[in-house]
Parts: sequence; C-alpha cells; structure tokens
Amino acid sequence: MNHRSFVAVAASAALALSVAAGCGRGSSADTETAKAVSEGKASGDITVWAMGTEGEKLAEFAKAFTAENPDAKVSVTAVPWDAAHQKIASAIAAKQTPDVSMIGTTMQGEFAKTGALDPTPTDLIGKDAFFPGAWDTTVVDGTSFGVPWYVETRGIYYRTDLAAKAGFPDGPKTWDDLTAMAAAMQSKAGAKWGLNVQPGKTGSWQSVLPFAWSNGAEISADGKYTFDTPAMTEALTYYQSFFTKKLAPDNLPQGALEPAFVKGEIGAFMSGPWHVGILNEAGGKDFAAKYSVVGMPAGKSSTSFIGGSNIAVFKDARNRDAAWKFLAWLSKPEVQVKWYQTATDLPAVQKAWDDPALSGDKLLQVFGTQLKSAKAPPAFPTWEQVAAVFDTEVEKVCVGGEDPAAALKSVQQQADAIGTGA
Amino acid sequence: MARRDLVARIVLYAVLLAALVVVVGPFLWMLVSSFKTEGEIRSAPTGWPSHWTFTNYRDLFSRLNFPQYFANSAIVALLVTAGNLLFCSLIGYALAKLNFPGRKALFLTVLGMLMVPGMVTFVPQFVLISNMGLANSYAGLVLPFLAGPFGVFLMRQFLLAIPDDLIEAARVDGAGEWRIFWRIVLPLCRPALATLGILTFLASWNNFLWPLVVATTDDKYTLPVALALYSIGQNRIYFGLLLAGAVVVVLPVLIVFLVLQKHFLRGIATTGLK
Repeated sequence: MNHRSFVAVAASAALALSVAAGCGRGSSADTETAKAVSEGKASGDITVWAMGTEGEKLAEFAKAFTAENPDAKVSVTAVPWDAAHQKIASAIAAKQTPDVSMIGTTMQGEFAKTGALDPTPTDLIGKDAFFPGAWDTTVVDGTSFGVPWYVETRGIYYRTDLAAKAGFPDGPKTWDDLTAMAAAMQSKAGAKWGLNVQPGKTGSWQSVLPFAWSNGAEISADGKYTFDTPAMTEALTYYQSFFTKKLAPDNLPQGALEPAFVKGEIGAFMSGPWHVGILNEAGGKDFAAKYSVVGMPAGKSSTSFIGGSNIAVFKDARNRDAAWKFLAWLSKPEVQVKWYQTATDLPAVQKAWDDPALSGDKLLQVFGTQLKSAKAPPAFPTWEQVAAVFDTEVEKVCVGGEDPAAALKSVQQQADAIGTGA
Repeated sequence: MARRDLVARIVLYAVLLAALVVVVGPFLWMLVSSFKTEGEIRSAPTGWPSHWTFTNYRDLFSRLNFPQYFANSAIVALLVTAGNLLFCSLIGYALAKLNFPGRKALFLTVLGMLMVPGMVTFVPQFVLISNMGLANSYAGLVLPFLAGPFGVFLMRQFLLAIPDDLIEAARVDGAGEWRIFWRIVLPLCRPALATLGILTFLASWNNFLWPLVVATTDDKYTLPVALALYSIGQNRIYFGLLLAGAVVVVLPVLIVFLVLQKHFLRGIATTGLK
C-alpha cells in the first residue's frame, strides 16, 4: 500500500492549499442554516460519487428513484475506497465536486470544515429516524452536513465449541468474562490464542475506543481532546493486559486471522458485521454453526464504535434540490431495507431494523442492539491526524510494553498541539 | 583450474537461483493464487490451488467494463510515451548540442524540477487542469505528462556522448537542423529512447492518483483505478479479485518489456559507460 501514505500527504496538502489560497468558501464559525428544498418531484441530472460496492450497485438501485421521479436522472461514479479521501479533497480544491458524494464518517469533520458541504435541511430529513451515534457523525459545530447512509459496529466473534469448553457457552458478558474466557480457551480448549484484538497500526483506535467508552471515558469534552483521564488509562491498561498475559498475538500477519479462527487456533476476535461473510467463505458451509457474536463485554456499560458512511450534498451542486430529495429517498426505512438486501449495508435508519429481513437474523440483531448505544469520535477536522497519533501509541503499549498512562499523556500532548481544528 | 572454475560456477548459479526465487517467487504466487477461490486464499495462502478456478477472472471481467478501461489505459500510456520520446529528445538535443543564451539556466531549471516531489505539485496541477476545462478528458490525463524533467535529463546526458564531429559533418554537407536531428541524432539515440520508452510507459500504465482525480466519471478511469474500485472495500480486501486484477495489469507491461528488452539492456550498458 505504497500510495496510502502518498494519499495522506497529498490530501492534507490539498486542504492546506484550499485554505491558504482562499479556495475554501469561508469556513463558518457559527451554525449554518439550510436553505429550504423546493416541493414536488425531483428533476434533472444528479451526479453522485460512491465508493466500492456502493458505487457499483447504486446506479441500478437508483432506478427505483427515477421511476418515482421520471424527470430525474442519477449518474453514479464509483470511486475506490482506498483513495476516496484524496479524490474528494482534490475535487473540493479545484471546485470539481459532484452534486452528491458518499463521505466516510471519519472524513466528515475535515470536509465539512472546508465549507464545501451543504447543511442538511432537517425539515426534509429528520434526525430522530437515525441511530443517534450515526447522526452525530454528520454534525460539525452544531450543524449537520449530510445524512448517515449505512452503519457498522464492532462486537466479539467467538468459537462456540471452544467457548463451551472454556465454560462460557454464551460468550463473554463482562471484562472479567473476556479475560477468563480467553485464558480458558488456551488452557482448556487447546486454542493457541484466546483472543485477537488489533495491536496497533492504522485503525486500532476503533478497537481500543469501545473499551474506553464502555469504561465511561470520553475522547473529547468542551471542544478539547481528553485522552489523559483515569477512565481512559484503565481501559488501555485492560486492553494491554491481553498482550502482557499472552492471550492475544501481537504480530498476526494480515489474512492470517480467518484461517486460524477456522482451525480453532484463535478462539475469539473483535470485528464488525462484514466478517460474517468472510468467515463463511473461509470456513465453508457448516462453519456458520461453529461461531457466534456477542456485543462488547461490559465495563460500566457495553458501548461500541459506530462506523459506516454518510452521504452529503455539496454547496456547489448544480442540482441541489433534487440531490436532497434523492438523499431523503435513500433514508426511507423501506429503501434502507432494500439497500441492505442489495449491498448488505446495515441500515442507519432505526425503523428499518424492524423488517423481518433484519430482525430474523440472530447475528445481525447483536449488532442492531449494539448500534443503539454505539458512539463515534467527534467530527473534528483533525480527527484523522489525532487518530494516527493514537494508533502509534497503542502499538507502543501493546507491542512495546509501554506504560499506558505515559502513552496517553503523550497522545494528549500531541493532540493538544494539533488542536481540534474546530 | 578447471575444478575451481566448476566450483565458482556452482556458487554463481546457486546465488543466481536464490535471487531468481526471490524475484520471481512473489510473481508466481500472485499468478497461482489468482486461480484460487477467495476462501482458499484466506485458509491456505500458499501451495497449489486444490482445484483451479476462473471465478476471479470471470468476476473481474463481468463486473468491470474491461475493454473501456483497457483502451483508456492504452491510449493514455501510448500518447504519454510518444510525447516523452519526442519532446524529451528535442529538448535534450537542444540542451546538449545547441548553443543559445540561457542554456545553462534552462538545464538548471530542469535539474531543479527533478528535485520537486510529485505530491507538492499534484493539487495545483489539478486545479490548473480543471481551470483549463480539461477535467475528465483524455487531454487532462495526458497533457501534464507529455514531457518530464527526468526524460530530458536522460536524453541530454546520452546526447552529450555523441561526437560533435558527426553533427558538424552533417552541417558541412548542408543538412538543416531538423534533418540532422531526425536523420543523424535520433537513430543514434535508440538505446536511450528504448530506456525512456519503457520507463515512461510503465509509469503511465501504473499511474493511479492522477487518473483517479482527473477522471470524474468512470468511463475515463484507467485500469489501476478500476481495479482498486472492486478489490479493496471499506473494511475488507477481496484478495482473489485483487490478484487476478494484478495479473491482468502486469501482462501488457511484461509484453512491452520483452519486446524492448534488447534495447533496454543496451541502453543501460551504454549509459553506464559514460
């Protein structure tokens, strides 16, 4: 992934430039209010950028929208996930944005801050329909820019056969359970590793923060990052204990997790809904009976991470009203269910989860319950930068055995230096 | 003596064989694994496929508008290569053999451009191209790469080695500057041109970020962009598709290299002599 770092550098250059050269349309200090969207059916060409599978399937899917709005046309361009950030950042700098684009939840703060996104007309698309954690990812400085499209969250996958031998047939419910189950899977059930959680590297904050949130910690308060707190330290110390107690591997190569889980060498791991498909592919047909998923083991609470993607309209949109009407259509519960059946993206709209297509699936329900309370990091423009710092320190703690309190102090110092950017 | 020769030869071959395994191994792995199912790549990443499957290739070709992306890639890479061969040799010739005021300054500028990393100019270049109204066009994909400082430098260095006497002899015989360039200088440059051609073709063929950003609708995407589209998801990588895609992208490059390799080797040898 050589171009990843390149992308990061070029993208920050892009945004720095858009600000320095005054290309950004005056970022707003105060809350913005949305202009009203006209009544009636949508018309005209709506250009949409969407990533990966979404980009591939949306064009066909949107035909149901154009059937209802015969004068409208939806033109979808698929964008690779790997470089979506760079593409959108450059497009904003050069004013080459489409009407609508999918925006990853962690990019939201940064792009909203450039002033390129249109505030959500909340009378058209209501906040209450969505999971609160998902809606929060669209809000920057008190204004929502875009709507949640689909969501995902993290839980613990575990081998039911090994868990039974270890004495936890229903999986771990609390932090103590998780440690005890991992240890017993190694001593009684023959697993080489009781648990796999990410020991650092890009995105490890998504594994650590659920433990922090479950322990009552917050990463920000009063517009400042708050990493150096007792609750956070306690959570990171607990996270580190999987590595110091040799319950979790600290150097598992990419792609090694699934075969090891299928063979029973790894007893449990933390991941999101997409792993159901991967496991069923790697393990074959009968493997589905051998594992299950449980929500985040509870500390003070059971609070997981909410990810997924938002979808937003640009201020420079040529066809703004139709664009918002398209997003309103995508946010209808029945459309969200259909989209789940098309792209296996989990609905961000709560009501969609009552549909039998979702409520009938045992594993999905675990994620569905988790989503109601799941949290996301604040949509600060600097979040991606701070997350990278956090990931580095997590690696020092898990692999290098650094003191969690010292690591968090260092994160706090660097985060203060970077600032929230808000 | 003969025995020492034999031992030396065995050692040499052993070293070469080890190097070969290191160089070719990953490539073979890519090729072999592209015929495995997604599940098998994950559960048994090494070894032969338990049964060979074309699913990955079929997926790739059915999901991707392959002829379109291939044509885009080919058009862009060929135009860029042709542009580089022409313009870099012209500029290189001027810098090496013609006397004109500011020659030194121009050469220093070229050297300076070599030092500027691409990511610094990336966004301004895109803003420029889109202000020219060339976003999402072949012109926008090709224009910024038609000549590059590296190519100019390479051609100039090579042309310095061509004796001035040759050119003067042609001049005495009454040939004009164009004629000298086309008939005398360019044919002598063949090794350098082959080297430049391969390197530019490779760079253009593999270029990812520029086409990604400049093409705003997917009918202008090139192969690498299109492949990244389907093989890398938000939370998972589809290894089967990725590997099959990599094989498909690499093949044309291999062919170009095989065709030009004789010249290429000579090019490296001659530039090395200087």
